[in-house]
Parts: sequence; structure tokens; C-alpha cells
Amino acid sequence: VKARVPTGSLAWGRRFLLCAPEYFTVSYEINPHMHTALRPDRDRAHSQFTGLVDALRAAGAQLAFLPAEKGLPDLVFTANAGLVDGQRFIPARFRHPERQGETPHDVAWFHTEGFRVTPLGTEEPWEGAGDVLPVGLTGDPHTRPVLVAGYRTRSAIGAHNALGELLGVPVRSVELVDSRYYHLDLVLCPLDDRRALIAPQGLDRYGIRVLSQVVPEPIWLSDDEAAAFCANSVVVGDTVVMPACTSRLDRVLHEAGFSVLVSPVGEFLKAGGGCRCLTLALDVDLSPARRVSSLR
Amino acid sequence: MNVREIVRLQGHLVDSLILAKVLDTILEAGATYRILDFDVGVTATDESRLRLEVTAADSDLLDRLLTELQVHGVNREEQADAELRAADADGVLPEGFYSTTNLATWVRIDGRWIPVATPEMDCAVVVENAPQGSVPGGLRARTLPMHQVRTGDRVVVGWRGLRVEWPERSPEAEGFGFMSSEVSSEKPKGVIVARVADALRRARTLRETDATRGENSAAVGKVLAVCGPAVVHTGAAPALARLVRDGWVNVLFAGNGFATHDIESAVLGTSLGVPLDGGVSGEHGHANHLRVINEVRRFGSIHAAVDAGWLTSGVLYECVVRGIPVVLGGSVRDDGPLPDVLTDTLVALDAMRREIPGVGLALMLASTLHAIATGNLLPAGVETFCVDINQAVATKLTDRGSHQAVGIVTDVGLFVSDLADLLCGPVDHDSGPERSHRT
Repeated sequence: VKARVPTGSLAWGRRFLLCAPEYFTVSYEINPHMHTALRPDRDRAHSQFTGLVDALRAAGAQLAFLPAEKGLPDLVFTANAGLVDGQRFIPARFRHPERQGETPHDVAWFHTEGFRVTPLGTEEPWEGAGDVLPVGLTGDPHTRPVLVAGYRTRSAIGAHNALGELLGVPVRSVELVDSRYYHLDLVLCPLDDRRALIAPQGLDRYGIRVLSQVVPEPIWLSDDEAAAFCANSVVVGDTVVMPACTSRLDRVLHEAGFSVLVSPVGEFLKAGGGCRCLTLALDVDLSPARRVSSLR
Repeated sequence: MNVREIVRLQGHLVDSLILAKVLDTILEAGATYRILDFDVGVTATDESRLRLEVTAADSDLLDRLLTELQVHGVNREEQADAELRAADADGVLPEGFYSTTNLATWVRIDGRWIPVATPEMDCAVVVENAPQGSVPGGLRARTLPMHQVRTGDRVVVGWRGLRVEWPERSPEAEGFGFMSSEVSSEKPKGVIVARVADALRRARTLRETDATRGENSAAVGKVLAVCGPAVVHTGAAPALARLVRDGWVNVLFAGNGFATHDIESAVLGTSLGVPLDGGVSGEHGHANHLRVINEVRRFGSIHAAVDAGWLTSGVLYECVVRGIPVVLGGSVRDDGPLPDVLTDTLVALDAMRREIPGVGLALMLASTLHAIATGNLLPAGVETFCVDINQAVATKLTDRGSHQAVGIVTDVGLFVSDLADLLCGPVDHDSGPERSHRT
């Protein structure tokens, strides 16, 4: 029985895929946050992961788990596995060879779970839900959902064209201009039909204008909030599970009707990932976006 | 040099502001664009398609810009490699060969743009293996005139995978803009001579700064003088000799006529038998030039005549003494000719070709055939001044695609004397080396 989704709330974000940090470490450096000299503490990583699992469940999310694989330390960041659209799974095309070995495991899991696995059909790199987020995909049938997609550091904009053609949805490409914010989910977190957390630090003026157009009431993050990966949060109904929060942001979110659960993931931040990176939404269905056919 | 490239872009361009970003990026780089086609998607899920012509000041800027634009999904329209076909006979190009312009040209092989060496119009482009490790990709390309092609040479056919650069006048040369595009007979000559002198000074500065870069760097800024016999008839030879002596000319092309009359005036003081110091024509003066040719033939070469102390002044004397390369091309109406004249036109053209690399400025002085032949060989962008009393020559040169030619319609004698005065300092016309032509 599907839970009733209040109008205005996100129509997705109740079911997630996670991967336990059995083999999580920092053994290579593919983003500015990673330093092989600064390895995560194994036990602390485990307890932080358990904390995140508890927080998501407390918020009402259902969780599934991808088996960990030796030699694939970043498999924990399931957000990059690909994108779910209904019963279809589009596997990512990792830019770095270090992560390309993850894809067969992702594909195998989705295949076993009964998803139809559809390749993106391009040679261009594209790093899954980490670089695409549906905006306006809510219970309100009057909103016009679009897929916001980030490019430059990890995904290539050419992949956005392939994605738009494959999914039949409008895609808004935004450039990620700061390599510290190398994935879209580090600068954007849709909250409901009107609001999203946005870190303008990782965007240029075009990207900021695009997001201002699709998000009527943006909550802009301060430099400190952006650097603390506040945008890398998981929204479950009216709960926001965050790697960190400031008192200002906590107040703003409360006023907007959200409750905040801070789930520290400091050991994973050493690899450049927060709460959102550790989850992949399994209940995204872009059909409402496909129905949009208004003249531009 | 202006370089253009047609590019394509596709996606949700309008709503994502990618279009605005791409166009802004082009303008911010100092380049310009022209929208060729723009197909805007009708529904929100439709993608838009754009074809754009991007123009930049030079190839480097364009490459940098296109690399940056590629990040935003902009791709070169021409993604194909050039097609190569082996020549199946000596001196015969494969069918469908690409005929070159005099513009700087690039050819795309294995996804890499290779510059075509020695740009020259009406030639073919051949691609060959470069010496091991000398260039990335191991291939180089050059223009090849039809008669030089050998069986098996890999020749570019068709038009795919080729790119050319358009020349643009350097800001320094803008001063000539007032002379409209082609030929001027109305403008104050003093101003024009001063501007040509400036151009020669710039070329010399270029040569001298280049010389400090070491032996292996290719020569640049060489000045080529192409001379017709009128240079001698009008009394300009001593002034030209001064320019050669003071290092303002680095290469000289001419025919049998110019060389003969230069030597005649140096040795006998006449040109076609007419004394250049204003005297009346001597008896049998019209045969003077034949006697001069005959003497040089006895020596075996102009160089030998100089070595023997028989030829002691004049333009060719200065060239021999200073080691300035001279190419004398022959024709069917030549008397003699002088032993140095290359009577096989293909051999003469190839000899001229060998001297072209590094030429940055060409002075066409009262020469019709040699000026046009040289114009055919010069890459676009070589600053060319065509001085002739006959407007038709300058017009003809610009008509033949030597876009960079500036025509100056004036008496070549006055022009070269003024130029030498400006660059070498005025001379006392009653003494010094100027007297040497009076025997």
C-alpha cells in the first residue's frame, strides 16, 4: 500500500539503496576532498553509517542494501550508481577508471530486483543520480517537473542530451564550476514543490538563474553551509537528514515545515561524500515530467 | 589571421541558458559568431539544435575557445578526417585532388589537425611521415605543385577535413586602409613611401629578434624584392643597390632583363644603350646589353664576373657580395640569356619556392610576369607592395587572389630612391657609391 503523499511534498524519497562500508577507504584521489594520507577510521565509518540508516528509518524511509565489494571503496556512494525511473534503471558511466568497476555490481543488483536495465547509449561520462535531480516532482499534478543535471567535472553535457532523449523529459543543464562541488547533489537538494537548498558557490550566473527559474523559493546556503555539504542531504517527506546543519539553516527549515535530523558522516566526507551520496532513491518516477508538453 | 569553424550544439539550450552561456563565452574570448541554423524545440521535452559559425583572430584562440566550448556540448561540425589517395603516376595528381588556396591551411588526419607547410595556391596537399618523434602523430603535410608529385605520394582528395585561415591586416598595416582595397595613384607618395619604410623596419625587427632565438628557428620577416627592368631604366638601380647593401633586402627575384640592364648600367653606364646620366645614345648602344650578356657568359656566372673584378657595382653585385639569394627566371623572349638564368620554368619556380619560406614582406618593383608568378607562390598574409606606373599590374595581382597586395601606382625610380633615402639616409648624389655606375 503506497503511503499517501501530501500535495507539495516530493513524490520520491521513501525508498533508498545503500551499501555498507565493509571495504570503504580512501585508496585513490579523484576529487579535492580525497587524500590517501587521510584514511577514514573503519569503526567510526561503521557507526556513522549505522547512524544514517537509523535516521533514514526514523524519518520513514525503506532501505535496501547493495552487497559491498572488495576493492571498490566508493561503492558506498550509491547515488552515483545510476538513475531509477519507475521500473527502469539507467546505469552510470563513471569518468574515472577507479569507479568503473562498480557498474557491473550495480547492474546485477537492479537486474535481480526486477528492474529493466537501460544503457544511456552514449560514450560520454555521466555519474547517475549524483548529477541529476528531479525538481518539481511532487504530489501536485500542476507542477512541471524537470530534471536538473550537472556537468563539467564528472558528467559531460553530451550525456544530458542522451538522457533527455532516452527519458523524454526536459533537462536543465547547469555547469558545476568549482571542483570542490563536483557533483550536482553537493549544490542542490530539492525539498518540496517550491523549495530547494542551493549552494550558489558551485554554480555560475547561468546556473543560478536556471535554478532560480525552476525553484520558486530557493534557500541559499552560506559558504560555510555549502562547504559542510549541507546540500548533500536526504529528504524523506518532511524530514531532512543532513550531514551538518547551522542554527540559521535549522531555523529556516523549521519555518518551512521541515524537521532536521543531523547524521554526522565525517568519515565519508574524507572521500568527498555526505548523506545524499550514500543513498540512491529507488522510487523516482519521471512520468509526470514526460507529460509536460507546453510550448516554451 | 581570421579563422572560422562551424560548430553544432544540441540540447535543452534555451531553458538551460546553455545558448546564452556559449554565446557569451565566444564574445568574452574576443571571438565572434554567426547563427547559421537554429531549430528550437517545440515542446518542453524537445531538444533545440544550433549551427554556429565561430570566427576568431587566430588558430590558437579558436582552438582554445572550441576546447572550452566543448565542455558545454559544442562540437565541431566537421569531424571527418581528410581523405587521402595515392598518386598513381609521377607528375599526375589523383582525381578529385584538393586544390589549395594561398591561405594557411590545416588538414585533419586521425582526428588531429595538421598544419600544411608552405601555403601556396593551386597546389595539392600531400601527407607524409615526419622524422621520428618530431611532431605529435608522426605525420606532416605540405603543399606540392603538380609536377613534383611522385607515384605513391598520399594526396588529399575531396574537401573533408580541411580548414583554412583568412588573413587579416595587422594593426600596423592599418595605415594602408585609406588606400581602399587595391590600388592607389591619388595618394600623397611621401606618406606611402614612409609607410612602406615602416613595414620594412618592422620586418627587420622581426628578423633580428628571431635571430636571437637560435639557429634552429625558421627564418621570419625576410624581405623579397621582385624587380623588373624598369627599375634600371628609371635610374632606381643605385638606390636599390643601397637597400641591398644596407641589409633591407634578403631575397631577390628577377628575369634576364633586369639582371642584364643592371649589369649593363654598372659596367657601361647605359640601360638599353641609353646613358643613365642623361647623355645621348651612343653608336650601336642598343647592342650594349648583348655585349654585357656575352661577357658574363664568358665568365660563366655573375658570381664569377664579380670575383674577376669585372662587375664592381649594381644590385646584382651587392647581392653577390652580401650572399643574397637571387633567382633569375627565363622566358622565350630573352636575349642571351645570362648564364645564371634558369631557362626551365619549372626549375625556376621550384628555385623561387625554396626561397619563399620566411618571407614576410614582398616588394614588387615594376615587374609584371615575375610579380604575378611570385604572387602565386606567396602564402596569404605576406605583406606585398606592388609599385608600378601601370595600374593594371597591381590590379592583376590583387585579382589573382593575392588579397594582401597593396598597389602603389607611381614611378618606380622615384619610389625606390625615396625609400632608400628614408632607410639608408640621403646620399650626396655627386660623390660616393652612387657614382659607381658612371664608367
